[in-house]
Amino acid sequence: VRQQMRGAGLVSPTQSALPPFRLIRAGSIPDVREALRAHPGATLAAGCSDLVAQVREGLTPHTLISVRRLPELLRAEHTDGELSLGAALTHSEGPAHPAVRQAIPSLAAAWASIATVRIRFRATVGGNLMARRYRYEMGVILGALDARMHFTGPHGDADVAVDEFVRSGAPGTPEAVDRGLLHRLTVETASLRWYSYDRSMRPVTTVAVAVRAPEAGESGGRVIATVGSEYRRPVRLSAVLPGAELTAADVRPVAARLAAGLPDWTGDYAGTADYRRHLVEVLAGRQLTAALGARP
Amino acid sequence: MTDPVEIDFELNGERAHREVPPGTVLLDMLRHDFGLKGVRGSCERGVCGACTVLLDDVPVASCSVFAFDVDGTRVDTVEGQRDGEEPGPVQQAFAECGGFQCGYCTPGMVMLTTGLLRSNPKPDPEQAREWIGSNICRCTGYQMIMDSVQRAAELTAERAGRDEAGPGAEAAGAGDGPDDGAAGAADGSDAGAAGTQERSDDGATEDRA
Repeated sequence: VRQQMRGAGLVSPTQSALPPFRLIRAGSIPDVREALRAHPGATLAAGCSDLVAQVREGLTPHTLISVRRLPELLRAEHTDGELSLGAALTHSEGPAHPAVRQAIPSLAAAWASIATVRIRFRATVGGNLMARRYRYEMGVILGALDARMHFTGPHGDADVAVDEFVRSGAPGTPEAVDRGLLHRLTVETASLRWYSYDRSMRPVTTVAVAVRAPEAGESGGRVIATVGSEYRRPVRLSAVLPGAELTAADVRPVAARLAAGLPDWTGDYAGTADYRRHLVEVLAGRQLTAALGARP
Repeated sequence: MTDPVEIDFELNGERAHREVPPGTVLLDMLRHDFGLKGVRGSCERGVCGACTVLLDDVPVASCSVFAFDVDGTRVDTVEGQRDGEEPGPVQQAFAECGGFQCGYCTPGMVMLTTGLLRSNPKPDPEQAREWIGSNICRCTGYQMIMDSVQRAAELTAERAGRDEAGPGAEAAGAGDGPDDGAAGAADGSDAGAAGTQERSDDGATEDRA
């Protein structure tokens, strides 16, 4: 018998026995809202690959609302400078979707690189984010794109930036209870000039970099980088490029400024904060150098 | 409150119906309700892949799929991979190439390979490596599993050709039977290794949800 986390105490005498729960198979988003209204605190489920692990770790859902087959959660489209991703798209379906590949090919490539083939067939982008496990990569991948998460629930609709979501709460926090159903994510693409994700140093440090068009009063573009690691939450960093026509020498100080913004608390026993800053400077520098001659 | 859920699905080519509690995972239903002991439980976190089955032709960790979710789908396990009285081509390939040692991960590897070959009958080594990287083997060092995948592609193509040619045709290599131990491992028989409920958290570094 294993002592479980999350304060649930002794959950099961074997790994196989899961606590009982009520199942609701929702047929539409209004069905989900109604189910959440009728069963406050219900758990939302799609791919379930992380959820089953959470249950084995001590999560005890009294009601589970399956949203796996909701067509609204399986769509992707790119219109009017915005890429919209259904939250139940799997890591296999999403990167292969024509809308994603057309809108941001490097996002498709990044998304297709995570997890394993077997997990990609089942796990969803929404579940990846809602699980709030630091080692999961969609928070890093979508964080640099300033993606927004759109929720709907019995108390109305809400949206929040991925970075803000990542910064709030602790791993395993049942955020869906508070916000409702995460039904889609959006990425503004009109100002996006370049994007890439480097996971070559995973699990110590991964870096996603997006370059966007300059805002009013800026001569160069804006750089947003998200830095992830196994045991620390992703960190969003930003800098402004010093001009429109840049050389590799010009972007090195930008990478250094990004790296300098990495907080001390990102250091852990797998790598000190200084080591991670060094990695960010190198990886972001490479990505920005590549960005000089390419589009997303 | 926790009423059983009725599910209809296809299991190894046969229609199946069950009523299951909502909290039942596919792994437990297959092993306990259907007696399919080739579906191995191990990490029970979807990480190791010992419990891999095909769900509508793609590999999934049956320990991390609720049984209610297979309603209306097609499930294939290692028990359904026999080719008449012979081991199926993937099983045969693992036996020929020695793609196993203790055999505990082998049913999962066989199903992973079966899924790969259904997706692409002629995978190159890079694609095979990416797929096989989904599951964990603590014994072989993987090279013999990689050899098995390539051989499985050959045997699958040969048998497909034999089937198209008709019952009188003979396939090359059809007489190269596996030794007993190999066949036992590759067909998922629940040998002594079934007691190895090894918990494997290290692979849990992979993304999912």
